Amino acid sequence: MLARVKTFTIDGLQIWHVAVEVDIRPGLPAFTIVGLADASVREARERVQTAIRNSGYALPMSRITVNLAPADVPKIGPGLDLALACGVLAASNQVPPDLLEDHAFLGELALDGSVRSCRGTLAIAQACVEAGARTLVLAPERAREAMLVQDLRVAPVQRLRSAVGVLRGDPPDPLPAPEDHELAGAGVSETELDLSDVRGQDHAVRALVIAAAGGHNCLLSGPPGTGKTMIARRIPSILPSLTRPEAIEVTRIHSIAGDLHGRLAQTRPFRAPHHTTTAVGLVGGASKGRVGEVVLAHRGVLFLDELSEFAKSSLEALRQPLEDGRVAVVRATHSTVYPARFMLIAATNPCPCGYAGEGARCRCSETDLARHRRKLSGPLLDRIDLQARLEDAGSEGLSAAPWTSSQNARERVIEARERQAHRLRGEAVTTNAYLDLQTLQQHSQLDQQGQQMLLDAAARGLLSARGQNRTLRVARTIADLNGRERVATQDVGVALSLRPETGLRSSRAA
Amino acid sequence: MSACKECIRRSWLLGELSRLLDYHRGELSTLLKLLALNDEALINFIAGSRRAELTEHWERFELDDPEVKPGVQTTCMHRPNYPRALLGREAEPRMLHIIGGRERLAELSAKPAVAIVGSMRPTDYGMEMARSLARGLAASGVTVVSGLANGIAAAASAGALEVDGPTVTVMAGGVDVIEPAGRRDLYERVIACGCVVAELPCGFPAQRWCEPARARTVASLTQMTIVVEADQDRRELLGAHAAQALDQPVMAVPGQVTSPASRGTNRLLMEGVPMVRTPADALERLCGLRSASPEPPPLEPDLQAILEHVGAGRDTPGKLTAARDDPRETLLALSELEVKGLLGRGDGGRYVPRESLTDK
Repeated sequence: MLARVKTFTIDGLQIWHVAVEVDIRPGLPAFTIVGLADASVREARERVQTAIRNSGYALPMSRITVNLAPADVPKIGPGLDLALACGVLAASNQVPPDLLEDHAFLGELALDGSVRSCRGTLAIAQACVEAGARTLVLAPERAREAMLVQDLRVAPVQRLRSAVGVLRGDPPDPLPAPEDHELAGAGVSETELDLSDVRGQDHAVRALVIAAAGGHNCLLSGPPGTGKTMIARRIPSILPSLTRPEAIEVTRIHSIAGDLHGRLAQTRPFRAPHHTTTAVGLVGGASKGRVGEVVLAHRGVLFLDELSEFAKSSLEALRQPLEDGRVAVVRATHSTVYPARFMLIAATNPCPCGYAGEGARCRCSETDLARHRRKLSGPLLDRIDLQARLEDAGSEGLSAAPWTSSQNARERVIEARERQAHRLRGEAVTTNAYLDLQTLQQHSQLDQQGQQMLLDAAARGLLSARGQNRTLRVARTIADLNGRERVATQDVGVALSLRPETGLRSSRAA
Repeated sequence: MSACKECIRRSWLLGELSRLLDYHRGELSTLLKLLALNDEALINFIAGSRRAELTEHWERFELDDPEVKPGVQTTCMHRPNYPRALLGREAEPRMLHIIGGRERLAELSAKPAVAIVGSMRPTDYGMEMARSLARGLAASGVTVVSGLANGIAAAASAGALEVDGPTVTVMAGGVDVIEPAGRRDLYERVIACGCVVAELPCGFPAQRWCEPARARTVASLTQMTIVVEADQDRRELLGAHAAQALDQPVMAVPGQVTSPASRGTNRLLMEGVPMVRTPADALERLCGLRSASPEPPPLEPDLQAILEHVGAGRDTPGKLTAARDDPRETLLALSELEVKGLLGRGDGGRYVPRESLTDK
């Protein structure tokens, strides 16, 4: 006879509802799975058969055919095991088939019949509600993730036997005790890195607070060993915490990627891909619709260390996400749009050896310098609003008091962001970094003197037309940080001194 | 009127002997003595096993028209429009290939001319000094002569071009061989505004002996040589040595005592070479008069203070903001100075003064 069970499969960030149809009829004993199943699903045959036997149920010695519908969506991963097993039990009348209607199943089976958790639980729980299942049966480890979704009964089960019990109306297994950090709630977690560890880089930290306040993309430059990476890692600690919808969005992505374990994301993601990462690694779309680093950095920080060492194609691939806050990946088997709104922090040495401007210490030839500059002048750098320069702090700087703590900086950033949100109410954007030209003009209310300064800077060749807008955007943020409604000349001056040096107009390009 | 046959033959001969001349590149005085020899003596002296073959070719030399390349003209010491400055020098180049026009070269070389030479690996300070000296001199109508090499030479040409001033660039190889290739843009801008000249035949790639030979041409074309920044080895000081070998006045720009890039120039100063800080210093020495350049308008005390901080080596935003009370005011002042063109940005984000401080 025939049984039908609900489960889900993951394709990129998209969740597909899969109907597992199990049919058992007399014939030579066989177990066939059709419906674009990948290797891990086809191997489920062995796991399911053994788990059924080891759980004390009977495996029917007849012809078992399983169809995974819809037939044109590739089914990936071992999360379908539990649904397969329940389908076989229902089709062989060991479970009443009509009870399956309201339930969805997610879990990998071990040979002894215990249930293992699978990635993507939160996203699957959301899809579950849409597919009309009232109860999601899954392994206990990640059950808390599923509980974030409203209007869904979550039934954690440790074994196949308990899953059958749930179908019969027994209570589900208890959840494991929450870990300490989950009890602490949505605050800043203890282990987080703090800006007060940074010494003698006041200028760079000041620039970063501005970047964080306006959501501006930022370039960190400085000689090796001055702490570019150290500072970059502390940026999430001065960004406003995730709002609940944002946290669910982030958790969903990271749960699918498999690097989050059964709880709501609390801090903004920080991704630091190595400079050998390819374009596909950055934007995603490798086999089985794996998401890229830009998607994992959604709502957080993407840190590119040694920017000039990245392949040109990788950097070019970042243009769309930086422009639109999303990335459309089209591959032979699928095309998907992923969200990718992140703050880009890039770090670079001033030259290949790192000591440019320090006279004879720099061993780079003119050609090396030209190549380095060319790498840093691409269209990607057009999207970077300001540059924070780090310098050798010296022993004096290292023993100085820190300029600010993350706590203080975060309060200032939040205040500035609130000011922006208030001023930009009714607009499509919420931070200064995404202001388009028209809104920017309208909201900057620049005084005459400041306007003149921008024009003079352009006439002097310091700023391109696009550069003027970038400077004005940063000036707007500085004014917000200082609690000013109008942008003053001072703000423009400070923004101008932080402008990124991305063009080829260096002193050496004579 | 293009160069005479003998002089074109001389240029051809130098090209043929190039490999052999390379053995003598080490000692500048030897090379100058060789270049002062006449053709027969030169062949006799260095041609070795190729002596017979070269003598035969030399005797039956057929005149290839060197102006066959469009835009290239020639002139030689037997022509009235040959730069006067080159005549009567020790080991002077006998002919020149010119891009930019024979008449233009005659016109440029009739003006007072200054060579700006120095390191191929200068600091930002050196680049800015070369640029601002060249700019100031060119604006006063002095012809700036230099090579196309990286570093000081290129910065000098670029500085003169900023005011569309008179400038001559001497190539080490053929006049149409752009070396280093990355300077094509500068090369073309020089042609649009002044002249590019070379002694060797067109298409001839530069060998290492061509560097000192070029240094002597650069020095010969001018009345004075300014060394902007140079370390103390022979290659860095080539321009200065060439000028001294030709008994020509040399001036040097002082640098920080701790900077290796200024060791050569500081040593020259110690040996008694006059110091040059501003274009006015150079003009005074060149023409014997103190130029009456207008005083720059006085700066606000705040900006002046920052400028002095930068000049004193506190040249990064971090050091500057740490040295003063209000970081925002400091950054604003830095931007104002940049907008006024008094500060530039060097490598690594350091600020560099764009003009030297004037005496008060």
